[in-house]
Amino acid sequence: MRRASGLRPALLMAVWFALPGAAAVQAEEPGVTDQQILFGQSAAFSGPAQDLGKNLRLGIQAAFEEANRRGGVHGRTLALRSLDDAYEPEAAIVNTRRLVANDGVFALIGAVGTPTSRSAAPIAADMGVPYLAPFTGAEFLRDRAWRNVINLRASYYQETEAMVSRLIGDLGIDGVGVIYQDDSFGQAGYRGVRRALERRGLEPVAIGVYPRNTTAVKTALLDVQRLDPEAVILIGAYEPVAALIAWARHVGFDPVFLTISFVGSNALARELGAAGAGVFVTQVVPFPDGDEPAVTLAYRRALAAHSPEAVPGFVSFEGYLAGRLAIEGLERCGREIDRSCLLDNLRRAEVIDLDGFRLRYGEDDNQGSDAVFVTVIGRDGRYHPIDTLRLAAQP
Amino acid sequence: MTTLARRLLDSRFRLSTQLYLGIGGAVALTVVASLVGLVSFDHVADVQRRVNEGSVPEMVTAFGVAQQSGTLVAAGPRLTAAATPEELAHTVADISHDRQAFEAQVAALPDQGAEEPRFERIRARGNALLANVGAIEESVAEGFLLAERSQALRAEIAALQRELAAALIPAIDDQLFYTMTGYRELGEAPAPRAVHRSEDELNRYRHMAGLQANATIAIQLLASAFDVSDIALLEPLRERFEASAGKIERGLSALGATPLRARIAPALSRLVDLGLGQDQGFDLRALELSLGERQTALLASNNDLAVELAAEAEGLVSAAREGVQDAAQASSSAISTGGNLLLAISVTSIVGAALISWLFVGRVLMRRLGRLSDRMRRMAEGDIEAEVVVDGRGEVADMAAALEVFRRHALEVQRLNLVEKLAEELKGKNEQLEDALANLQRAQVQIVMQEKLAALGELTAGVAHEIRNPLNFVKNFSDVTEQLLEELLEELQTVLPEPVDGKEDESSALIREISADITENLRLIREHGERANQIVHHMLSMGRDSGGRQPTDINALLDEHVRLAYHSARASDDSFQLDIVEDFDPAVGSLDVVTQDVGRVFLNLVSNACQATAERRRAEEAADAADPGREGSEGGAYEPTLTLVTRRSEEGVEIRIRDNGSGIPPEIIDDIFNPFFTTKPPDQGTGLGLALSSDIVRQHGGQIRVESEPGAFTEMIVTLSAEPPAEAVDDTAEDEADSGWEQAEESPLPS
Repeated sequence: MRRASGLRPALLMAVWFALPGAAAVQAEEPGVTDQQILFGQSAAFSGPAQDLGKNLRLGIQAAFEEANRRGGVHGRTLALRSLDDAYEPEAAIVNTRRLVANDGVFALIGAVGTPTSRSAAPIAADMGVPYLAPFTGAEFLRDRAWRNVINLRASYYQETEAMVSRLIGDLGIDGVGVIYQDDSFGQAGYRGVRRALERRGLEPVAIGVYPRNTTAVKTALLDVQRLDPEAVILIGAYEPVAALIAWARHVGFDPVFLTISFVGSNALARELGAAGAGVFVTQVVPFPDGDEPAVTLAYRRALAAHSPEAVPGFVSFEGYLAGRLAIEGLERCGREIDRSCLLDNLRRAEVIDLDGFRLRYGEDDNQGSDAVFVTVIGRDGRYHPIDTLRLAAQP
Repeated sequence: MTTLARRLLDSRFRLSTQLYLGIGGAVALTVVASLVGLVSFDHVADVQRRVNEGSVPEMVTAFGVAQQSGTLVAAGPRLTAAATPEELAHTVADISHDRQAFEAQVAALPDQGAEEPRFERIRARGNALLANVGAIEESVAEGFLLAERSQALRAEIAALQRELAAALIPAIDDQLFYTMTGYRELGEAPAPRAVHRSEDELNRYRHMAGLQANATIAIQLLASAFDVSDIALLEPLRERFEASAGKIERGLSALGATPLRARIAPALSRLVDLGLGQDQGFDLRALELSLGERQTALLASNNDLAVELAAEAEGLVSAAREGVQDAAQASSSAISTGGNLLLAISVTSIVGAALISWLFVGRVLMRRLGRLSDRMRRMAEGDIEAEVVVDGRGEVADMAAALEVFRRHALEVQRLNLVEKLAEELKGKNEQLEDALANLQRAQVQIVMQEKLAALGELTAGVAHEIRNPLNFVKNFSDVTEQLLEELLEELQTVLPEPVDGKEDESSALIREISADITENLRLIREHGERANQIVHHMLSMGRDSGGRQPTDINALLDEHVRLAYHSARASDDSFQLDIVEDFDPAVGSLDVVTQDVGRVFLNLVSNACQATAERRRAEEAADAADPGREGSEGGAYEPTLTLVTRRSEEGVEIRIRDNGSGIPPEIIDDIFNPFFTTKPPDQGTGLGLALSSDIVRQHGGQIRVESEPGAFTEMIVTLSAEPPAEAVDDTAEDEADSGWEQAEESPLPS
């Protein structure tokens, strides 16, 4: 695997190293004026993953507005331009090019999805544009060769590892089935599950696949149900996942369902309604309705100030944290900002403490947080943070 | 008219005219040479032109066609490489110039001559090339239209694919789930197993899955059609697409009148139409591919044409090579003829210029100018005797004539100057003679006077000698008389009565008184007799030789001669008065001098002082007589005074003799030591006194200086060296003694 990906990272590195020099010659950094710094976002604002894009944008905007109310970052306000890619890679490519070349954004932030990021991140790398906090835990973005990518969240591997470890540790379950979306996201999740099981000498007892961007999940349900695993890990978007759980409950298939943060927790809970009770969802940000850490309160205040009717949620919280991360990097640059300064400051910081949410980067580490939180959907259709699956599994 | 003609005729001898003519001749030769050169170059150009009009233009055109054909051949791939219509238009504009140039060259090919068939072939291939390029351009433009259509078609296919997937995938998913579980909708109870596991449902599932599979196959076949580049491969694809289309049709009809069929049937039928319809799918791709093949064929044809054109041009070259060689030969012969001609003209020009310079400048002008300048140089060196002769006419002759006039003038002036100079010299000689004559006359007077004085001196010595005898008698007899008188008085003592009561009788008293008076008288007689004897002695000694140096008391010497001079002055003038103030330095002492000479100097100087005071006194008296009330000068106020001062100094002795007499006028003060210079009448002074004095003092290693102010004083300052010069002073003294001048000085001074 290292060998296969060796060539492209080398190329990317060469491109990246050539860029700071070129940028230094430029009189003005793209996207930066005396008054404003412009960020770009290509995310899903339509289609089955639209809630993710919308909430992520909400969180980023809340963070930016919070900073702008304080007078901006070193006298410059922050602005976000968002384009809809409907979770389609082709659209993501077009959007990314447009944002960088036409709109001249300073950095890209808050992309949604693994396949979209897989297409857009190389373009951003070629153009020397920072690619901040994509909403994906895919492993390939954690490759050290990406000099322009700054991940905020824990990886899918870490989420699936947490799931498997909890299932075995808390519930003693070793018959684990997987249903995943038939794309790079789903495959990343599937590989994570498989790796976690294999570390324990196990393998998935049942595997189901459904076509991406559809809710045609019942074939997969049939495939898994047939082998009757005790627990099923779902790697997909909220719509098909909700459909699948609903159908499973409907047909009397009732294993422990676990799904991954990407699902879009609030949307999932909404889609599931009563059928959602007892579904575990791993999260990569703290519980947004909690009191700890302090950034949770800051997030809720910023969200309320930005959009009073918005309900706090994991995705917008992640968006808020992404915005805060960008702000922190710019603050460290000072008035004279450029792209390499932003990236270097984030990478080289000992610890970036966003009101208690601590991020650590390094020369070979472009992922800030390793934290995975487990939540469960209660009978009230709301999420609850839990420490162990055992009690929650017996609601 | 005749005057003008003559002037013109004469002017041919003028230098300017000749110069103009010479330069004009050279210019004329140059012009002739240039004209000849021009003509010969024109001839060469003519030959060259004939050569050019011969074989070369044909070759050039043929080569141009061959070369340009390469450019056009290269234009083909450029046209086909255009990615957008804009790019194509740009390229067409780019190559249009090349095309036009090529067209022009093809049109310019000659259509007759020896090589006509060959040109005909070149023309034909050139036109074919042009046509090919036009065809390529058209086909590329057409290709863009086709590409646009196929782009739209593929986009439509992609949209169809998404539409079909969105409809078919969930439907199949639902159908499978229903068939397996009996569940159709959430919240509904499952259907009985007999219903949902029926053959119908299974078949439905099979048809739906088959539809999806065939639709996918058809879409992929169609997509493949746009990927193949070989037109031959299109037909198998089309055949398999037709098979899939048939299956889709059968599958659709097997679905029956379900909502799904209603939903997907239009998309499927559109899919089939996109593949097999008129000018759609496969047809479109076939058109595209055949267009590409045609372009390839055209490009290949272009290459062939270019090769053939090059070959034709090559043939043309070998055919034309001979012609070119002939032409080159003709051209070179023309050039060599022109060159020879030019060489001849050049030689003529040079010879002509040389002749002009030699004949005119060298032989005529320079030779005559040289002779003239030679003459002038000789005149400058002083030779103005010879006549200036330069033959010929013109400016040089004019200059020679002017020089001759100048020479004659110079000769005249030289002669006049000589006469004047001789007259001047004569005048100077005359004056000298006159001066000499005057001096001789003066010397003659002096000699006469000296003769007189010499006779007087001898006479005086004789007289003095004679006087000494009576004076001795006077002295001796006065001595005897005195002794006799004393004896008489002793005798009388005895005879005469003794005085009674201290009172003598009258007679004895009288005797005593008389005897005392007689004694006194006798003493006076003796004293004056001695004095007279002394004077005589001096007079005699003066006549004798002065003798050699001997230690002499200078103060005493001065005093003695002052006295002598004073008395001499008194002797000649009763009214003479003089106050003598002596200020003698005892330290002066003795000097080794010729006593007589130095005494003579003192006598001379003091005598002159006495005369000067006397003169002034007379002048004062005369002035008083004329103006008795004259201010500051009452009668008798003038007191003639002679001041004598001696001083001992390191070098010797200084003697100052100062009188307050009439003084010496400044204009003559420098002449007073000259011999024969005198202010006195000729019979009273010789003009030798001061000259002699100056000589004597100089012989004693000293000098006489004079300071004077007219009407106030005269001071003569004599310095005598303590060490006399070691010369034969004695001889000089002897000569001086023999000369007898001293007697002249002893002569009575003028009153």
